[in-house]
Order: sequence, then C-alpha cells, then structure tokens
Amino acid sequence: MTERQRPIRVLMGKPGLCGHDRGIVLVVMALRDAGMEVIYSGRHNSPETLVEVAVQEDVDVLGVSVLSGAHMGLCRRIADGLRERNASDILLLAGGFIPPEDIPAMKQFGVHEVFRDGARLDDIVAFIRSAVQARAAA
Amino acid sequence: MHQGKLELTPDEWRARHREEIERAEGSAAQCEDGLPLKLVYTPADVSPAAADIGFPGEFPYTRGTEASGYRSKLWTISHYAGFGSPRETNTLFRKMIDHGGVPPYMALDLPTQLGLDPDDPMAVGEVGMTGTSVTSLADWETIFADIRLQDTFVGTVINAPAAVFLAMHVVLAEKQGADLSRIRGNLQNDILKEFTARGNFIFPVEPSLRLVTDTLEYCAQHLPSYWPLNVCGGHFAEAGSNRVHEVAFAFADAFTYVEQALQRGVPIDRFGKGIFFLMKTNHTDLIEEVAKFRAMRRIWSKRLAERYGAQEPETMKCRILGHSGGSLMTRERPELNIARTTMACLAGVLGGIQLIGLRTMDEVFGIPTEKSELIAIGTQHVVAHETGLPDVVDPLGGSYYVEALTTEFEQRVLEEIERIDAMGGMVKAIESGYVRKTIAQDAYLTHQASESGRKVKVGVNKYRIDEDEPPRRPYAYKPEEECRHVEAVRRLRRERDNDAVAAALARLRETASRPAGTANNLVPPIIDAVRAYATIGEICGAPREIFGEYAETTHF
Repeated sequence: MTERQRPIRVLMGKPGLCGHDRGIVLVVMALRDAGMEVIYSGRHNSPETLVEVAVQEDVDVLGVSVLSGAHMGLCRRIADGLRERNASDILLLAGGFIPPEDIPAMKQFGVHEVFRDGARLDDIVAFIRSAVQARAAA
Repeated sequence: MHQGKLELTPDEWRARHREEIERAEGSAAQCEDGLPLKLVYTPADVSPAAADIGFPGEFPYTRGTEASGYRSKLWTISHYAGFGSPRETNTLFRKMIDHGGVPPYMALDLPTQLGLDPDDPMAVGEVGMTGTSVTSLADWETIFADIRLQDTFVGTVINAPAAVFLAMHVVLAEKQGADLSRIRGNLQNDILKEFTARGNFIFPVEPSLRLVTDTLEYCAQHLPSYWPLNVCGGHFAEAGSNRVHEVAFAFADAFTYVEQALQRGVPIDRFGKGIFFLMKTNHTDLIEEVAKFRAMRRIWSKRLAERYGAQEPETMKCRILGHSGGSLMTRERPELNIARTTMACLAGVLGGIQLIGLRTMDEVFGIPTEKSELIAIGTQHVVAHETGLPDVVDPLGGSYYVEALTTEFEQRVLEEIERIDAMGGMVKAIESGYVRKTIAQDAYLTHQASESGRKVKVGVNKYRIDEDEPPRRPYAYKPEEECRHVEAVRRLRRERDNDAVAAALARLRETASRPAGTANNLVPPIIDAVRAYATIGEICGAPREIFGEYAETTHF
C-alpha cells in the first residue's frame, strides 16, 4: 500500500436545473477545510458536462446534489457516462432531497454512497478519505 | 420596608444581585447573527428618540401599516401548492374559487422557470416535477378556462421569465374582454435573489434588471391594480444567511429595482405600492424576529419618503408576507415541527405582518399529506381565534427589550446596506461574489454550530429519540406526463401561424438589441410573441441570443 502523493481532488456538481445549492456549497467548504482540492461546477449543468469535467480534471471524487426530484435520471446518466469514459474509478457520490427507497437502485447503477439532507459534514469528509484510500490500495 | 427597591438604579440592582447576575452573564447570549442580548433591558437601553415609536398606521409604521391592525383585517392565511398539468390546475383553481377562496400561488416546474421548452435536452426528467409546466399561451388558456381573470387574484412564483407571464395574463385578459385596470395578480419577479440564493436565472444581471424595470413600467402604465414584484429575503435565509443579511440583501435588491424604475422616469407613487416583501417568519430568536419586522417597516418608509420622494402613505408601507422556514423543519421527531411553526406564526403575528404561511410537519419527507396541511392551517386558526392576539395592535410595542432590539437591528441592517453601497451597489456586490460568499459563510457557521451541538436542535443533536420515518408521498417522476408535454409543444409548433411567430420573435430580438428605455420596453414585443403562441423557450431564446447567459461565481 502506497501513501497518496497528492491531495484528494473533488468535483462537486449540480446536474439538471435545480437551483438549491446551500447543501453542496457547505460540502465544498468542508472538503476544502479538510485539505482537499475542490472544484464547484455552479448550477445548471448537463450530466454529460459533469462527466467531461470530472475526466478532464482527473478527480478522485464526483459529488452531485439534486433537490428537484430528478435525481434518478440525472445520476444514472452520470454513472453511465463515467463507465463509457472508462472512468468508473471516480467515486460517484450523491446528495440532496433523496427518498430512502431510491437509494438501493442508485447504488445498483453506480452511485457509491448517498448523503441525504441532514447528513453530517464530518461523516462526508471521513467517508471520502477512507473510500479514496481504499481505492488507492486496491 | 420594601418600597425603596422600586427606585433602584441599574447599578444598584446589579450590586444587590452581583453574584447571580455575573454567573448568568458568564454564558454570553446572542442571536444567531451576533446581535448581543442583555440579561435584562431597562429604560436606559431605549434612547428618547427610539422611545417615540408613534402610532400604528402612521409614519414610520414601526407599530404596523394599519391603524386598526388585525382587529379589522386578519393576516392572510397562505397556501402554496404544486400542481400537476394545466388541466389539473384548472380543476383545482375552479374548485377553490367556487368555495369562495382565491387560487393559491402557482408553482411552476424548473424548465418553465428557466425559459426552456419541455423538449429541450436540459429539461429531460424535470418536466412537471416542481410545479405546473407552462409552455405557451395555450397552457395559460387551459389553466384559466371558465375563470374570469377580472374577478380573480392570480399569484405566480416566476422570476427570470416573469415578463412572459405578465404578457400571457394581459393577452388572456384582453381575449376575455376584461378591464385591464382591474386585473389583480402578483409576480415574484425578483431576479436579483435568483443570482445569489434561489438559482433560477437566465440572462446576466444588467439585462435581467432591465426586464424587471420594463414590467414595473408597463404595470404602472397599464395595470394599476397589479403587483408586479415580490422582493424576497426569505430565500437568503433558506440559503443560510443570518437575519441581518436576510433583510439587508432584500432591501439592497429592492432599492436597486426602485432606483432603476425612477431612472426610467416612472413616478414612485405609481409603482411603489405594488412592491411586497417575502420574508421568513421563524421561531428561532423569536423576539429578534418581531424586532425585524418592526425595523423593516421603519427602514422602508424612511427610505421611500426621504430618498425617493414618496408622497402617498400606501407607497411607504412595507407589506410583509412571511413563511416559516423549511430548513428549520426536522426529520427527527417531526411532530415537534408543529411546535416550531406555531411559534413562527406567533413571531409573524407579534410583528404585525400581512400574510403567514406555515410549513407542514411532514414536508421534509415529500409531498405534504392532507392531514398535515390541515394541521398547518389549523395552527394559524388557533393563533388567530384562541389567543386574543389580534385584538391589540403591536402588542410588544414599548417593551424595553423589543424597542432596543428593533433599533439595534435597524442599525445593523443599515450598516450592511452602506457596505454594499460602498462596493458600488448590489449589482456589483452580486457580480463580485460578495453576496454568495456572505450567505455561504453564514450557512457554514450555522451548520457547524448545529453539528458540534453548540446550538441545540431538539430531536437532532439533543433529546434524540430514534424512530422510523413515517409513511410519505414522495415526488414521483412521471415519464408519460413529460411525453404529453413534449407532444403538445411539438403539435403547437406545427399548427400555429409560424410566420407570425417568426415576425414577433424578430421584433423582440430587435428591441432587445436596442438600449434599455421606455421606447424599447420589452413587454409589448413579448405580448405580441405570446399572442402568436410563441413558446417560452422561443421567447426567452430571442433575448438570450442578444444578452447571453449569466455565469455565476463558483468560488467560496
């Protein structure tokens, strides 16, 4: 097992048309305070754009947030896009207003973890650290 | 002998209870926005000027906009609802009108709010999700079939494409043969807060502001009974801002709109009374919330009279619509949300505001159940009819605590507005990212305080009881609904007079390319495009070609 040489790189993105970004901006700030390199996409991105940026920027993690209810379709397109670009090693995380019954299906199609509204920032930071570490070791 | 105690000075009082007071003051108390709280307030905390609070219905309206307060007119118990299709919306509206009510404020789906047609690639999966999909005049005709616009107040939560909705309303009213001077309704139309909080923007800041000014000017000329603007502070609060910033940013936005319209030559007394404020009414720091509403009325009326030369009292009155904050509702022990909203209602009532809407206890889980909707409305009925609060105007007026807080809050808001003025105004403050960063910082502090347990959230970080989530009605995506809308817009494009549409859109594009001003008001060409059944995507697309799109700050 090798020690990672670079800080964890994260793209935080808002796919679709949902404009609520209080939650994702909090996560951006918390990850940055935890020493990660974080890019925030801003709002109104197509899933394809986020996949493209994630690949271009060579990130370890792509975190997306949706509160409009359109999370299933948008997250599926992102997961499919990452697979098509052979970039499934990028850890795909989702957050926002997501009913618990949707989570199993989301994990099935390629979302690694879902953090619903109300999730603790400390938990998100810890999850990313250990998951990225585990991937590097794999 | 005890009578001497009545004549204690504050210092003597402290000396008598030193140990107890110092122990209590060791845990410094303050509101979430940093406003410090004393252990007790005395006459020494209220300056003679601040003690002269005047009367309700009199300038500067600290004690309320109307002399008789709620005794002659109770606050409006608000109802905001998301709907399905235009046809379902029509059914609901007719039912409410038949029962003697007014239709609730109309929620729209995100493609509509962003000026996109249902078959736009960005609209996939979003059509009909957060509200009704409205693509063209044809949908507006369906929504208001068998409803006389002249007799109905229509509130629409629409911002970036607000001018298109004004145009649809005007065209349909004309078709119904209505008297335009009697058309009542309300657009949210507060685009500046979209850039900084709500996120549903299309064009860059300057042309967006031009559209707001165009609607204000058009309504001042043609629709005197229509309210074309709700300035929103509540969205800042929901995005995480503290209370001082909630109010300061709302006023900085409002002053920007007013100054633009004045520059256009629209007299303040012609458009000022059509401006309302949509704020949060929350249970947190409850007394400060009351002080906020009182301070808002003072700040607004003074500014309108002294800076903008308003003459009519109706122009100077700060009318406030208050909703309790959804972000304060908890999924843990959700029944406690009823306690929270009850006190939120109380804050609004003690603050003398014009409309109150409460969140349901279960909307953190999905679409509110009918039972919880009835509880939210019933909560307001209890406050209105069982507490006796509506009988006396400004019940807390004269309290040392409330008056001191009102003045302190007013000062803090004015200081923040001065800070924004020093940056060159709100447009600059938005474009530089200052407003977004300030809100994000506030939100981060609040979140950290809650996560660390410094700020108690009952059921969440203290007094937690582990329970299962209650049954809920989730928001469900209906692909067949989206297909119907896509087919409808394609059929519309085949069947309408496309030469007329092209000509109207060309005129709109041409007007947009000319400088802002009365002669180039965009509302008339938008009305022509609407009349020709151009779609919302086309009508917003034409100026999009000229103005471009807004690129937001993403650095925090």
